[in-house]
Amino acid sequence: MVLTGTVLLNECQKRLIILWSYRFNFMLETFMIGFLFVGISFFVSGGRPAPEQMAPALLGYLTWFFAVFAISDMSQGIREETQTGTLEQMYMSPLPSGLLLAGRSVASLFISSGMVILIGGILMLLLGIRIPVRLEGVPVFALTITGLYGFAFFMGGATLVFKQVNALSNLLTNMLLFLNGSFLTVERMPGWMEAFARSLPSTQGIDVLRRVVLDNMSLASVWQDGSLVWLTVHTVVFLFAGWGVFLWGERVARRRGLLGQY
Amino acid sequence: MKAAIKIESLSKTFRSRGGNEVEAVSRLDLTVEPGQVFGFLGSNGAGKTTTLKMACGLVMPTTGTVQLNGYDVSRQRGQAMQQIGAVLEGTRNVYWRMNAWQNLLYFGRIKGVSASSVLKARAEQLLRELDLWDRRKDPVGEFSRGMQQKVAIGAALISDPPIVLLDEPALGLDVQASRTVQEWIIQLAKERGKTVVLTTHQLDMAESLCDRVAIMSRGRLLTHRPTGELLDLFRREFYQVRLRGLVEAEKTGAFPGFTASQENGHTVLSGEVGEELSVFDLVERARLAGMDLISVTPAEPNLEEIFVEMIERAEETSAKDSGLEQGAGRVSAGVEIRG
Repeated sequence: MVLTGTVLLNECQKRLIILWSYRFNFMLETFMIGFLFVGISFFVSGGRPAPEQMAPALLGYLTWFFAVFAISDMSQGIREETQTGTLEQMYMSPLPSGLLLAGRSVASLFISSGMVILIGGILMLLLGIRIPVRLEGVPVFALTITGLYGFAFFMGGATLVFKQVNALSNLLTNMLLFLNGSFLTVERMPGWMEAFARSLPSTQGIDVLRRVVLDNMSLASVWQDGSLVWLTVHTVVFLFAGWGVFLWGERVARRRGLLGQY
Repeated sequence: MKAAIKIESLSKTFRSRGGNEVEAVSRLDLTVEPGQVFGFLGSNGAGKTTTLKMACGLVMPTTGTVQLNGYDVSRQRGQAMQQIGAVLEGTRNVYWRMNAWQNLLYFGRIKGVSASSVLKARAEQLLRELDLWDRRKDPVGEFSRGMQQKVAIGAALISDPPIVLLDEPALGLDVQASRTVQEWIIQLAKERGKTVVLTTHQLDMAESLCDRVAIMSRGRLLTHRPTGELLDLFRREFYQVRLRGLVEAEKTGAFPGFTASQENGHTVLSGEVGEELSVFDLVERARLAGMDLISVTPAEPNLEEIFVEMIERAEETSAKDSGLEQGAGRVSAGVEIRG
């Protein structure tokens, strides 16, 4: 337990130090992410966005931001650490790589949560959007984020083996913005696109989050209508598949000597 | 006494994109005793770094095992990793955006040093010894190459491992920084009893630092001996004859097999003495030719000459072997045609 806490704090501290060293870029990115939301909202609403219509969009948008952060941390972050040799140093640790990876993920979640609170807070204040805080939303949020990190592990495992995955991860994160139902309703998409959109990691989570947080539905009712069940299945599949792909990637990278090769 | 590093039948075969198999390390057997400075020498692609990375658990062997202080790297990974600290070549090894102090604490924690007071005391001791204490709060990215290498060495030593693996530790360093690193390596082994394994292309450095050296070529171990023994093995009756002034070329012909060069206005003849020409013959011939003899001194072989000779021999053998194989191939093809 102490060891897990130490690893966690260590990763958080490292991430914060590095983030602080890029503070100018960080501030610009924060501004850009906020501005992007305003721009897309105006465009989607035909120039007249109403705060009550923007609440579901903002909820989806902030969830998307978690996805961007998790995926970029696992793919771009691992690629950069391969280049600098710090990944090899990490793999020379006597601690299990799974523990270090979990520490890394929690640190990433901690920092992205801080950014989401900051960006979300500013947007809510400026645009008059209101997202209620409902405790019943917490388990739904946790399931959604867990599934997202499962997908991020998938990308991380792929990055260990195929070093050029970065372009794919950029494509996927951009696709997620438009296909996860944040701005465009999934039900209005053509059948094949809807099926594809629903298979993506955050779509189902955003849908259930909206029902619970914004429409005041109880956990029992979303369980009964099957949407929470589907989210749970989705999360379990993404988590285990992602973890499996990461372990596979690690094994292949060790076999081919790719941990320090870019 | 238990070996610090025990390598048995270690092989690694990589498959290239074209599907060809490349044997990077071939059936390597090696033992490194505790407290030794052990040098891995070899040309690029000899298999030194791959061997080191297999010892670090970063590359999975195709066959064979590596044991670090008795712990098998594949099967007892956690315990084996507690035995080593490594600085690998061609990469930063530490975070340049973080300062030296933060790097040492970070790597200390991921290497399992959880007691904060122990970790901080160790980090301070290392930074003071590495002469980085005053600049501990500066980002490593702002340091010189030599200082960055020192931080990487500090990070490798933060958990006080008994075995230190250094891949090209002085590569790209200026003379002063290289000397500091070398002094450190000696100190680690002689004063702290650590086992240091290094790979290097700087043979003078290997000669002055290493108790034992292994020479590798194309994944195979050519030799593995104490440095002194290897030098003795190659020590020949090689002499240098120093003559006053510049001696004409016709006169130096009296010393067959010797090459002439000029040094500070004098003539230096270098060559091997043997049954045909003894040291006394050298002196006698110089006297008869009216040459003014300054000195006759035996020339010591150096590791560089030995290395070049061993690699050349290995390549000749390899060329002969492949010639034989091709020949055998042609014969068997002929048999097939005839059949």
